[in-house]
Amino acid sequence: MRKKVLCLLASLLVIPAVAIAQGIDASPSDDPAPTVEADVSTRTLEVTTGFTGHEIVVFGAIDNSRAPIGDNHYYDVVVVVEGTPFPLVVRRKSDVGGVWINTSSVTFASVPSYYAIASTRPIEEIAGPPVLERHAIGFRHIKMTPGPSYKGTLKDYELAAFREAVIRLKKKQKLYVTEPKDGVTFVGRSLFRASIPLPANVPVGPLVARTYLFRDGQVASAHIARVTLHRAGIERLVHNFAFVYPASYGIIAVLLAVAAGLAASAYFRRQPG
Amino acid sequence: MNIYLPIAEMSVNAALLLGMGWAIGFLSGMFGVGGGFLLTPLLIFMGVPTAVAVGTGSMQILASSVSGAIAQYQRRNVDIKLGVVLVAGGIVGSVVGVSLMKILRQMGQFELFVSLCYVTFLGAVGALMMIESVGAMRKTQAGQPSSRKTGQHNWVHGLPFKMRFQRSKLYISAVPPAMIGAFVGFMAAIMGVGGGFVMVPALIYLLRVPTSVVIGTSLFQIVFVMAATTMLQAMENKAVDIVLALILIVGGVVGAQFGAAAGARLKGEQLRFLLAGLVLLVCMRIGWDLMVTPTEIFSIGPTIGG
Repeated sequence: MRKKVLCLLASLLVIPAVAIAQGIDASPSDDPAPTVEADVSTRTLEVTTGFTGHEIVVFGAIDNSRAPIGDNHYYDVVVVVEGTPFPLVVRRKSDVGGVWINTSSVTFASVPSYYAIASTRPIEEIAGPPVLERHAIGFRHIKMTPGPSYKGTLKDYELAAFREAVIRLKKKQKLYVTEPKDGVTFVGRSLFRASIPLPANVPVGPLVARTYLFRDGQVASAHIARVTLHRAGIERLVHNFAFVYPASYGIIAVLLAVAAGLAASAYFRRQPG
Repeated sequence: MNIYLPIAEMSVNAALLLGMGWAIGFLSGMFGVGGGFLLTPLLIFMGVPTAVAVGTGSMQILASSVSGAIAQYQRRNVDIKLGVVLVAGGIVGSVVGVSLMKILRQMGQFELFVSLCYVTFLGAVGALMMIESVGAMRKTQAGQPSSRKTGQHNWVHGLPFKMRFQRSKLYISAVPPAMIGAFVGFMAAIMGVGGGFVMVPALIYLLRVPTSVVIGTSLFQIVFVMAATTMLQAMENKAVDIVLALILIVGGVVGAQFGAAAGARLKGEQLRFLLAGLVLLVCMRIGWDLMVTPTEIFSIGPTIGG
């Protein structure tokens, strides 16, 4: 089990890095190539009982910038913050004799639990679909493939409807967020920043913040930073306990309920009326 | 103040939850019912996952029934022997219910099944209660005392495994009480209710248990079956949110005190009429949600292990 988890973690860490490395186009000139470096304002976030969401700031700088002084639009920067991928079931209802019933479903093997994108301009203006697809930039290019149980019974456009439903519903839950214009703002010639809102319901787990530097529709440089989001305090204690020791959790739930019921009745018996 | 619920995995306003607990407590204190049939749908409307709403409901009902059960026991209103038979059946029903719930969740049909159960039971019980209470109010207006036939024999008395239930002054087969217990336990697990609204009429009309011991024995069964259901829901479905339950319990016990005071001012049949109206409203609301064309026909959820 542990081995499996390690493998999974390793693959999560390696794949985006490889993909990014392959995607960068070598610069023909002799000048040192512009590179982007970025970091996140908060490296570790704790989800406690009082967690109501948080805003993280991804900030960075372009080294060896070739941008002419005063031209803030020479480069484009795209920041993608992605949560841990999870399997997800999408169900579709249809009208069966007057009652709306879930009649078909697709299980996607891995769907990012959270996906935020911020960019200097709308991404369609920054680069073409093949580039965006390669780097999984934009809702339309989020990696989402049906799981092994999928029998391929749906037509392509139907499958697309399920994909779109995931994006629509995740957007509604504020788990897929986009800042298409001025989501990334330059502070001077080479410094930039983007604020990414994490809602209260953001699933815990590691978040990966990928920063891309674009010039002429191509990725000139990319950088990865990580944020860990973990449960803390009572909330963590309760959640872990419930999933690791369900029997003890059940006993505690029963005892708490009985104690609460008895305490309440004892209290109100003392208060006449 | 917002509070993050660890199992429901959502952030909700604590004051809103307390208020909800209070309102449910008020109504249950007023009508003398457990309130699970109001609480579970309300939690679902709020966005709590159906499974968590149902599982947490069991814990809340346990808390709100335990003091009542002890009070009834002290007043010697519990037929322990009958109660044990009901509990035995109830636990079997609960095990079946919780297991079925797990299967239905994997199939993606649990929400539908819960809604159908609610519409069916609330519709039937609400309608019967409405008819009965209107009849009783008419009789009271006409000046006739309401009466109930006792000592009549029916098919129940022809079954094997006869047992003597002293406190209920009954000598009947153990099969019907065990079946009733099992049915109520099943419903409790699936719907997140105590099941008193089925248990009480079943004991009175099917088994002819004297009214003096009906409430106590029913509460006795509810306490033990709810304890078992809470355990099972925690183990099988990880569906009990202790934080959510405790907030609802605190609100509920306070509300129940006010509700009981308000209920004391109304007549029995008036209360039953109001309760029937409430039950039918909840039933229609859930039924409406099933029938009306949804604005979003897709839904997403985690895969459930199996």
